[in-house]
Parts: sequence; C-alpha cells; structure tokens
Amino acid sequence: MKPPLKPRTRPSPADAVRIASEAAPHHPPARLATADRSLPFNTRLRVSTLAAIEARARADGATLKQVICRALAEAGIAVAPADLEDGTPRRRAA
Amino acid sequence: MRRAVHPVVRYPPWTRLRNGVYTYGRHCAETSVPVLTIASSKGGPGKTTVAMLIAGRLAADGLRVVALDADPSLAFSRWAHNAYEGPPFTARAEADETQLAHLIDTESQMADLVLVDTAGFGNLSANVAMTSADAVLVPALSGEADITEAEKTIRLVAGLARAARRDIPARVLLNRVRRTQLARHAADEIAAAGLPRLDATFSDLVAFGEISHSGRIPTHGAAAEELARLLDELVVLGWVPSRQGVLT
Repeated sequence: MKPPLKPRTRPSPADAVRIASEAAPHHPPARLATADRSLPFNTRLRVSTLAAIEARARADGATLKQVICRALAEAGIAVAPADLEDGTPRRRAA
Repeated sequence: MRRAVHPVVRYPPWTRLRNGVYTYGRHCAETSVPVLTIASSKGGPGKTTVAMLIAGRLAADGLRVVALDADPSLAFSRWAHNAYEGPPFTARAEADETQLAHLIDTESQMADLVLVDTAGFGNLSANVAMTSADAVLVPALSGEADITEAEKTIRLVAGLARAARRDIPARVLLNRVRRTQLARHAADEIAAAGLPRLDATFSDLVAFGEISHSGRIPTHGAAAEELARLLDELVVLGWVPSRQGVLT
C-alpha cells in the first residue's frame, strides 16, 4: 500500500494540540493550572439598581451575587460554576 | 484642486493565506515562513542562550523576528524585556499549549521568523511547538544524559512529524564544546546513534554566558564567528531566512 502523501502545510492549531497530546499522552502541560481562587469585587450602584437586584434575589430565593452572576452567565460571560452557587455561610443562612 | 496621488499597487492588496483567511498585506499564499523551535527534554543544554543569540543576530540583520517563550520560567522573556540591547524583536511569553498553537499560527503569517524557546522537560507546549515547527534545533552538551535526551527529543520529533504527516527536520547542536576527547566522544556517540547533527558548534566561551547579563549579542571575536557559522548553516538548510528575508 502506498504511503499517504505528506502535506507541506503546518497543521492547524487544533490539530497541533491534538497531535502533540496523542503522541506523548504522558507529557504534562508546561504550566500547571493554578487554583481559581476568589477575590473581592466592590462596585458602587445606584440605590434603585440595588433595590431591583434585591427584589429579584428575594423573588428567586437567591443571593445578590447569584442574581448578578446568573445574568452575566446568560450574557455569555465565562462565570465560574462556584460563583453561581449560594456561598452564604451556614450559620448566617440559618 | 490637486488630486491625491495613490501609490501604485503591484499586487492585489488582499491575499489568501494557507488557512483560507483573506488578509491585507505583503504575504502571498506561497510565502513560507520558518518556524524554528528550540527544544530538548533535558534542562540546561543552552536552549534559551541559543534562542537569544539567534533572535538578536537576525534582528540585527533586519529580519522581523518573533520569539515565543514557551518556558514557564520566562527566562527568555525577562532577558528580552530587561536586558537585551539591540535592534528590537517581538518577544511574547505563552506556556499554555492551546494559546501557543494559535500564537504560532498567527505570528507565522506576519513575521520573517518565528522562534520558539521551550521548557527543558517533556511537556505539551514543547510538543505543540515541535509539531508546528518547520525545523527543530536540539542543543546538547557533551555529557551522556544530554546525548540520551537529545536522542529522545529527535525521536519525538520524528513521531510528531509522522502523526502530522509532514517533514519536520531536527538536528543536534553541540553546545559548550571544549576541544577535548570528551567532545570528540560526544560527537561520535551522536553519530553512532544516527542522530543528525549540525556542523556548527558553540564552544564553551564566556561571551555566550555573558549575554544573559549584558543583553549584547557578540559582534566580534570567536563567539561572533561561531554564531555566524551557525546562521550560515541554518540559512543553507532553509531553517532561517537569509538577510534579505528570502529563503535560499
């Protein structure tokens, strides 16, 4: 059987990653992913905006952060799944 | 009222690149831009120093060089931004294999040479850089471990080339060579293993070690001559463009 002809062109980025991963599956990434730690994020909003968010949160039984993060996720922002959870400490939620 | 004079366009201002994207600029579909990856699965054979020398020398020759630092230690990037003194070239750090693959693809459409410095252990980013390369340079010292790892790297490049169904030539560059029996033995071992080797070598010169601190590429003396010999050989191989930016 004749061997396949070799294309001279460089593989696409997706093909390059696939070939590199398959050729040496035991090789790790050059840089290990760092933990996705949380940081505080403060912003000033108008009273009316805050009241609207609070009203939605109360209606949905969610936190203010959940309401905002859900809206961001629906808008296509890559929100970390952990930020969509209710992170209220148990003793305060009780 | 005088009419504006437009420059004569000698080629269609739009060209179709190999990936099917139309772009404006000087590139044509036949443009072959070398992507030269410097790799070895062992740390310490001088990959970053070789990358510094090639990038700086070719930038001085007027080529548009893009150096991609795929080593998380960022040694090349720090040097390029903090120490390097010479004609400018673009240096970017990217250790993530997916981002690196896209960066090589993008930069290879704009630069005269894309040079990729990789980390000294088996890792996905280095594999991507070798898969996307037009040629791979494998620096090695004279020790047994260096030659063993150089052999592994050359074999890995061969495997990646088979998987990508394209030719990716790779050659060993003997680095920090001393004119001793050890160096001759190392050259014999490389030949016995059937590994392709460049004729050019780098001697164990202080001038090469100094550039990480001085940021100055040697322009005279033995170091400059050895660097010129290496680049001449790479031009003949078609691994780097000649001074005019045209592959020989």
